[in-house]
Amino acid sequence: MALIAVIDDDLDILDASSLVLKTNGFDVITANNPNDGYKIIKEHTPDLIILDVMMDEPDDGFFLAQKLRKENIKIPIIMYTSVSKALGVDYGTSDMVPVDEFVEKPISPEQLLQKINNLLKQKKGA
Amino acid sequence: MSPEDKPRVLVIDDEDSLRIGVKRLLELEGYDVDTAENGTEGIRKGSSGEYDLAVIDLKMPDIGGIDVLKHLREKKPNTVYFIATAFASYDTAVQATKMGADGYIPKPFTSEELYHHLENGYKKRKLIIEAERLRQDRERRLLEVHFERTRLNTIINSLADGVLVVNKDGQAVLYNPAALKYLQLDEINIEEYVINKLPPEISVIINQYLYTKNYNPNSYSAQVELKPEHQLFAEVTCSPVPHPDKSLAGVVTVIKDITEFKRLEHLKSQFVSMVAHELKAPIAATLGFINILTNEKLKVTDEQKLDFLNRSSSRLTGLLNMVNDLLDMSRLEMKTNVREIKELDVKEIIQDVINLFQFEIEKKKLKVDFIITEPVMKLNADQTEIQRLVTNLVSNAIKYNREEGKIDVNLACSSNYLVIKVKDSGIGLKEQEKNKLFSEFFRAKNEHTKNIHGTGLGLSLVKKIVDSYSGKIEVESEYGKGTEFSVHIPLKKR
Repeated sequence: MALIAVIDDDLDILDASSLVLKTNGFDVITANNPNDGYKIIKEHTPDLIILDVMMDEPDDGFFLAQKLRKENIKIPIIMYTSVSKALGVDYGTSDMVPVDEFVEKPISPEQLLQKINNLLKQKKGA
Repeated sequence: MSPEDKPRVLVIDDEDSLRIGVKRLLELEGYDVDTAENGTEGIRKGSSGEYDLAVIDLKMPDIGGIDVLKHLREKKPNTVYFIATAFASYDTAVQATKMGADGYIPKPFTSEELYHHLENGYKKRKLIIEAERLRQDRERRLLEVHFERTRLNTIINSLADGVLVVNKDGQAVLYNPAALKYLQLDEINIEEYVINKLPPEISVIINQYLYTKNYNPNSYSAQVELKPEHQLFAEVTCSPVPHPDKSLAGVVTVIKDITEFKRLEHLKSQFVSMVAHELKAPIAATLGFINILTNEKLKVTDEQKLDFLNRSSSRLTGLLNMVNDLLDMSRLEMKTNVREIKELDVKEIIQDVINLFQFEIEKKKLKVDFIITEPVMKLNADQTEIQRLVTNLVSNAIKYNREEGKIDVNLACSSNYLVIKVKDSGIGLKEQEKNKLFSEFFRAKNEHTKNIHGTGLGLSLVKKIVDSYSGKIEVESEYGKGTEFSVHIPLKKR
């Protein structure tokens, strides 16, 4: 059973995402700020991370993703955000944003599950 | 000779008959004649009166003609002087001329000789006066030009915008202190090549003019960051200065400080992205819940369903409030809102607002006390505005409260004011945050507020509404303990 970490400061999103993932057979751990997120990742080494940008935070989602990559933690990350279009920026994935997928909120459960399964397959294959 | 053009002559001679004779002769010829019977009187009259011509006898008992001439020449340099003497000699003639005599009349002279001398003298006098007039005119004009130039310089130097003019060789021709300030130069020397001292964004534009063969009449502007980190932004406009032959004489560069404009622009885009984020977050959360509720594969208990619906409703209420805040803000700012002033029961409004937030209040397990100190007058105001005011105060008191905290809402009338107080037991404000509290988009940022959503418009809107009723708003707060807002709105006497 794959373990997924969901890190989002929006408690409603956190609960809704967890429920969808749990009912689809994943184990889920959650955190509502980047610091706690880092702690649960170090402690449980999840198979995949769903990370919000959390623009209100001084150490935001980008920061956490960069920190993990610097420590050579290569767990797939899905960056989940509602801001990129608002900023007029198409982030995509790059060295600046070292994540595997970049998705705009809101996303349907089917799409999210598809992206998760794709990344987990890639990981197994590698 | 016309009467206006009567030449005035002073005859200085100690010989009575000569004086009288000359006076008579000259008056017949239309001269205006004055006489003096010795040197002393001659000096006195000659230096105080205005004469065109003077005839001075060389030998006089008191003061000699040469000395009289010396005196008068000094006092009245523009009078034409003749020396007259019976002891005519070449030497005295030379000496008299050296001392500044314009002519020499040997005695005895015939009337024709006298007329001839004085006529020429008078012509000379006219030329002298005309030359003097021209000289004064020129001086006056020079003064005017000088004054104009000084005034123009003063104006250019007083401009808030920087001005720098270069000639077609790129040498500085004119600049003002503001230009030095914006370009951060200690000095510019006139005729110094300055293009290489300018920021590249400016020198590129100027060089385009200087190195283009054909005269280009267009102006070009660029926004230039003159000091890093948004400290100084300028809009620089370069325009060509034409020569009369329509070739390029130089380039005038005007530097305008737009730092504040840039700051507002930055604030605006920050605000837009923040608002977009704040608007999108509740939509994403609500859609997340709806996706769960509509998905038959997901097993959800009835209790969970109710919780998700309540939470969706709460997020949508928040969204609605935010949109209303935004609309009210722009309406108040554009002053386009049509007020509908009527008698309002503020008790009812406050109770309605508290009821509206019941879910949020229960979720945070807050205790809300609404205390009314009777008698409470009816308020003449716009219902939507007062509702918004109360909504924003109560919504803040909930948002920034702790779990199981307390909210006290007080309504009372004191003298001519209706007073609404909303007190929370929340996170409170730091001293430096109090001042910024009512400015648009401000949100207290600290470890307690990071999970609280908002656009930062709520309180600035409250302040705008209170101000529009000539009321006042006060805030008392202790960091970590809570905040109390007091709103005073004047009751109109009828």
